[in-house]
Amino acid sequence: MTESAVVVDGVSKRFRLYRERNATLKSALMRGRASVYEEFWAVRDVSFDVPRGTTLGLIGRNGSGKSTLLKTLARILHPDEGQITMSGRVASLLEVGSGFHPELSGRENIYLNGSILGMSRKEIDSRFDEIVDFSEVRKFIDQPVKNYSSGMYVRLGFSVAVHVSPDILIVDEVLAVGDAAFKTKSKRKFAEFRDQKRTIILVSHSMPQVRALCDQVVWLDGGRVRAIGPSDEVVDAYLAHIDADEVDSNEE
Amino acid sequence: MSYARDLLRTRELLGNLVQREIKGKYRRTVLGQLWSLLNPLATMLVYTVVFSFIFQARPRVGDPSGLDIYPLWLMSGLLAWSFFTRAVTGGLSSIVSNAGLIKKVYFPRMHLPFAVTLSTGFNWLFELGVLIAAIWLFGGFPIPWIPLLLVFMVLLGLLATGIAMLLAIVNVHFRDTQHFTAIVISMWFYLTPVIYPISLVETAAAQRGDWILTVYRLNPMERFIAVFRNLLYDNTWPALDDSLVCFAWAIGAFLLGYVVFVNNEKRLAELL
Repeated sequence: MTESAVVVDGVSKRFRLYRERNATLKSALMRGRASVYEEFWAVRDVSFDVPRGTTLGLIGRNGSGKSTLLKTLARILHPDEGQITMSGRVASLLEVGSGFHPELSGRENIYLNGSILGMSRKEIDSRFDEIVDFSEVRKFIDQPVKNYSSGMYVRLGFSVAVHVSPDILIVDEVLAVGDAAFKTKSKRKFAEFRDQKRTIILVSHSMPQVRALCDQVVWLDGGRVRAIGPSDEVVDAYLAHIDADEVDSNEE
Repeated sequence: MSYARDLLRTRELLGNLVQREIKGKYRRTVLGQLWSLLNPLATMLVYTVVFSFIFQARPRVGDPSGLDIYPLWLMSGLLAWSFFTRAVTGGLSSIVSNAGLIKKVYFPRMHLPFAVTLSTGFNWLFELGVLIAAIWLFGGFPIPWIPLLLVFMVLLGLLATGIAMLLAIVNVHFRDTQHFTAIVISMWFYLTPVIYPISLVETAAAQRGDWILTVYRLNPMERFIAVFRNLLYDNTWPALDDSLVCFAWAIGAFLLGYVVFVNNEKRLAELL
């Protein structure tokens, strides 16, 4: 049995649904308490293990708690119950170009974004050319990023993110970035990650992608684990369930 | 303590955030960093005309520097005050204005108010450099006091950051905080002897009751302004009691802000 890179143990995340979400002092004073809310469990008692060097996919319908779970894994949200143990360096890629400053140049933003994602200056220095080449924006690297086309913007953001080279990578459907050629390149990068025995956890709605990339899949339904196992098995069950529901899954 | 270790481990991020603040601020301006000097110069001009010429306010003569120049006396206190207010108001809104970042990636959030204080402090260093040169030019000798000046800058930075962290958390719950703080700060300004000497308050207290002065001096900024004037304008040691009060306020406010911030940080992403 290989060791686990990520252990998720009985994780639950609760949200408060505010009946009136106007955070003003006046409304709080009028009611005499902070706010009126209902509780809603977005993720309920989820447990799984991710062995080192494998890729895990999270699938499920909209609102099934995938993104909440992913954000909890990325430490953006804190679980209300349960525990997540990660061994190794973690990087999360929930949005490309987080923290880009529009007035700063592409070069300056690589350093800023890289350090937000957890890279040291030395690491960025050594990978700088790789990052720029991968993003295909070398000509404009000293221009402020607000002048970039949206394609260039996301390519640069994506390129920084995939060069973080963490032990554990948490990804939210960012593989669908750029044109066909860039997508192929991105896929190759992920294959490279797998060959380097990095652990990846990803959320995706594209079942072919999940089949191709993941070793293991967790199917979430209403915040709970509906099924967990080898990717083909779980994806088949998921698709069958969706067909049975006669819901357009928007695939392909 | 593990949070402090997290902060230390990601200190390069803090450096980059500070750079972002500094570089981004004056991008696409012709004068660039010069703006950070023009602003206090303009304020100095206005206050000097109004209070020195019109109201005939006389500053204390610097002892032992012998300086008797209102604009220099004013700026010795005003630069510290404006650093304080910029760090507090900037730091307090730093969480809300970086909501996009906080929702998408994890990093110790405390770096955001820290970055505001440090980038504001960086500008303050510029302003102080010019002020020190001017004081020197007009006959003072503040150079030997620079090390001690830096110590009190750090203390004032801790006070401002502590208050900013506390208010930043409150501001996430109630956006009223930033508007309310703006009012409090403008009243606080007039309750602090920045544009007028404290001797005016002492005179008033002598006529109407000593308690006025006692209450007035509870204001930590009164002590800080006094210390900065001692160092810059008088070129002498600050009073021991002023120094101790500054130290206690700085450490106390920072610790309180730190503890409140750490205890609330985990829920920031869902509250924003």
